[in-house]
Amino acid sequence: MQKRMVGVLVVVALLIGIAAGGLFFLPRDQEPIVEEPVGEEPVGEEPVVQEPEEEEPVAVGEDALPGGVPRNETLIAGILSGKIMTPDDFNVWTVTWKHVDRGIQQLMLEPLWIVDYVTGEVINALASEPPIYNEDFTQMTVKMRDEMFWSDGVQITADDLVFTIETIMQNPALGGHGWSNAFVERVYAQDPLTVVFELKEPNTRFHSHFVDRWGATRPMPKHIFEQAEDPALFPFNPPVSSGPFTLHSHDPGGYWVLWERREDWERTPTGELFGMPAPRYVLFRHHGPPEMRVLSQGRHMLDMADMSMEALRASLMGNPYTRTFRDEFPWTVNVDPAITGIMFNTARPPFDQKEVRWALTLAIDIVDFIAIGFDGAAVMGAMHLPPTPVYQEWYYEPMEDWKKEFTIQVGGEQFHPYDPEAPMRMAEHSRLRGFAVPEDPQEIRDMFGIGWWKHAPDVATTLLEEQGFEKIRGRWHLPDGTPWVLTLLTGVNPIGIGERNAFAAAQQWERFGIDVNIMASPMEGTMVDMGEFEVNEGWPAIEPWGGHHDLYRTFNTWHSQFMRPIGETNPGHDGRWSDPRMDAIVERLEVIGWDDPETFELGMEGLKVAIEEMPSIPTVAFPGMIVWDEHYWTNFPGAENPYTQPYHHWPNFKYMLPFLEPTGR
Amino acid sequence: MLFLKKYMLPRVLQFLTVVFVGITLVFIVIRMLPVDPVKQIINTFAMFGATIDPASTELLIQTLREMFGLEGTIFEQYFAFWGRLFRGDFGPSLFLFPVPVIDLIVTALPWTAGLLLLTTFISWLFGTIMGGLAGYFHKSLWAKFLDRVVMVLRPIPFYVFALVMLIIFAYLIPLFPLGGGIAVGTPITFSWRFIVDVIRHAALPALSMGILGSAVWFQTMRLIVQSVTSEDFVVYAKAGGLKKNTIAFKYVIRNAILPQITALGLSLGQIFSGALITEIVFAYPGIGSLLNAAIINGDYNVIMAITTLSIVTISTLILIVDLIYPLFDPQVRFK
Repeated sequence: MQKRMVGVLVVVALLIGIAAGGLFFLPRDQEPIVEEPVGEEPVGEEPVVQEPEEEEPVAVGEDALPGGVPRNETLIAGILSGKIMTPDDFNVWTVTWKHVDRGIQQLMLEPLWIVDYVTGEVINALASEPPIYNEDFTQMTVKMRDEMFWSDGVQITADDLVFTIETIMQNPALGGHGWSNAFVERVYAQDPLTVVFELKEPNTRFHSHFVDRWGATRPMPKHIFEQAEDPALFPFNPPVSSGPFTLHSHDPGGYWVLWERREDWERTPTGELFGMPAPRYVLFRHHGPPEMRVLSQGRHMLDMADMSMEALRASLMGNPYTRTFRDEFPWTVNVDPAITGIMFNTARPPFDQKEVRWALTLAIDIVDFIAIGFDGAAVMGAMHLPPTPVYQEWYYEPMEDWKKEFTIQVGGEQFHPYDPEAPMRMAEHSRLRGFAVPEDPQEIRDMFGIGWWKHAPDVATTLLEEQGFEKIRGRWHLPDGTPWVLTLLTGVNPIGIGERNAFAAAQQWERFGIDVNIMASPMEGTMVDMGEFEVNEGWPAIEPWGGHHDLYRTFNTWHSQFMRPIGETNPGHDGRWSDPRMDAIVERLEVIGWDDPETFELGMEGLKVAIEEMPSIPTVAFPGMIVWDEHYWTNFPGAENPYTQPYHHWPNFKYMLPFLEPTGR
Repeated sequence: MLFLKKYMLPRVLQFLTVVFVGITLVFIVIRMLPVDPVKQIINTFAMFGATIDPASTELLIQTLREMFGLEGTIFEQYFAFWGRLFRGDFGPSLFLFPVPVIDLIVTALPWTAGLLLLTTFISWLFGTIMGGLAGYFHKSLWAKFLDRVVMVLRPIPFYVFALVMLIIFAYLIPLFPLGGGIAVGTPITFSWRFIVDVIRHAALPALSMGILGSAVWFQTMRLIVQSVTSEDFVVYAKAGGLKKNTIAFKYVIRNAILPQITALGLSLGQIFSGALITEIVFAYPGIGSLLNAAIINGDYNVIMAITTLSIVTISTLILIVDLIYPLFDPQVRFK
């Protein structure tokens, strides 16, 4: 009896356990639950879809796409910023964060202008031509492209742009409220396609607020927003698009958004400039951590993914259809318009001394640094500017002779710190690891950059000793005799590019004899902003436009007017460095247009000042780790065919879509 | 009447004190974090390379501070918070301004509540029953076997266990979806199809949490039972010749289950903390990622709302457990 009782209880408990995982018994092969796709057949040329070469394995258990949404007409891309916290809200004109990279900036909205950092162009999108300024830069005129329409059939006109600015000026909860009120005296439509901005004072770069570089003030649909009681609280759901796609459906849990190509795609700047986007549908989806992205790509349910280096290699090994920006080692993106590195808080001793900053630079062996931090797969950048092909052409190569001639004073002598052979050492290092690296120096420079600063620990030692530092039993001591413990503030993402810079720098400086204390904090942003740090892995210089040679965007943040004492918010560059020479360059740039040929000359002068002072150490171009699965789509803009920027989270993504080609699977 | 005065009233007063002190402490502590929501917003835009020129940054900071209500003293903010709370208003999210906090919670909480309520109850029931039996009949073969299995499972970090489950049951043997809360394109309707879809997506996260959760309840209950078994009253009952089943259920398990009931009450309150790792590994919607983002971005209003709900819920559950304790424990009833 007792045994029977126990047996019964065990069975009951087991049944409960099975019920918890009972879901094994639920139907798994049923048709996916979907809405019928909205709209008729698309206008224009149908994508070329070949007959399937093989029987496609059914994605059992996986989220299939909605009925009527064929996988081979759908491009699936990751959401860089992760899970969407406001999934039902598509109003991105508010002052705060709304996950614009879920397709809103890439597919739904067109700006007036947009930069392409690969081709080095500024593309006229909703504007038909570049901004027109009057002589003294107190008036800017925008000519709008004709015959452009919102997705609900209403024409996009000057009224939309005027309404956008006026609404933003009236509502502090909308982004751009500050600058629009500071700069705009009056905005009006001169005719249905011409907008005139009258400015309160001369402003040579007023248009920059409308140039899309991962964000800009984009026109809002007047006919929709004028009905909203409060434009800041208006969720704009369902949204209407100025871009070539409209919302199909979205996940209330915040993990995916499905977009469908507009029937009238040709009535958008994307359609008029580049043609019909090849995918009929685009699914933006957050797949979770890199491991999940690798698994999803292995199942061909993720075409465009951001990866960590480890995940990138796993995906390449596990899926024959995957490829990276560069088909072979070093795989990573070399066109990203951001330079990464190490930033000093120059308001704090001893980092207020340029000799100390230069000593820390020369203590780094860049080959070792890249090997440790980036597994050898990154492009070195010696200047405070990303070494993208266009910036190499505009600045790196023209300044190569200057860099070779440039000297710093060490021990009463002049020392040439530039090392044009650093890429060759990187190539040798990679060969030793078994990677195929070409012999041609130009090809090597294309792979690894065109030079960096010498690894000269002896020179670094002299520089420090001149400042009163002393090395005792192999460890550096400060001039006051206390051991030098350098605190390096970083974030908490062990695979983040910033964190990788921090760990590599710490290893280099430890080897040089400095005790480095890594401080990882999720509050890094605030701490850096308030100056509560010594050394950090933030941008060594603010990112330039990428698609334009004007460096005002970078230099302006170093102007002394934006520097604040430690403990106060610093609107300028967080390193808190400024220099009268840089002030003069910025002030000159402010009175000439961004297309003025003098901007090149001023750009080079500014870079020279930054190198001489070395307020931060530029190390490598941001090594974007993107992996494309070419099972369904091909002709991505890889290194061999860089027809546009390669990321799916940039707003120019929509201009890539007409060039993608279905594989026919 | 005596029950109300001597037993219920002190507990209600204790409940109110805990809620007040708890909320006040959280209000103070989160303002001591070295994070500024205004700066986090600007940093987020800057991190992605958006254009905010330095002159505009200062204007933006000023505007945001005024809108967020961060301009006054901490006392003014504190009283304003209580004023809003009594009106049932948690204010707007700061990081996602001006979205009301309650909208964010209403969007995220059902997913977490559904998943955690299910897994907590089932794993508690399964683990407690099996642990109780395994504890009392610890010499039997099945109890020893189960004990060994649990000893292997229990130390596995949840992240690793969940990932292994995912690889096995969603990738190698694709029985379940790789992630998400519902299938792409699924409309939210109160239909059988929608419910089945939600259950399919919740299955693997629930199974992972349920197995490891059961292991914890199992081990706790087993140890408590073994401890109770050596108590004098059990020895006396055995000596008195009572049936083994009677001793097991009326003497041992009934006594051993009391701390488990208390622990269950506390576990249910953790629903508001969410299941962050589950949400990350399975890309599952829920309140954990909302709270995580709020802490990182210094979104005081979201943190206050979630912790207030958590404090009130846990305190209420403890109060309820306290009030129903006399039903289970004759000692309390007697006192």
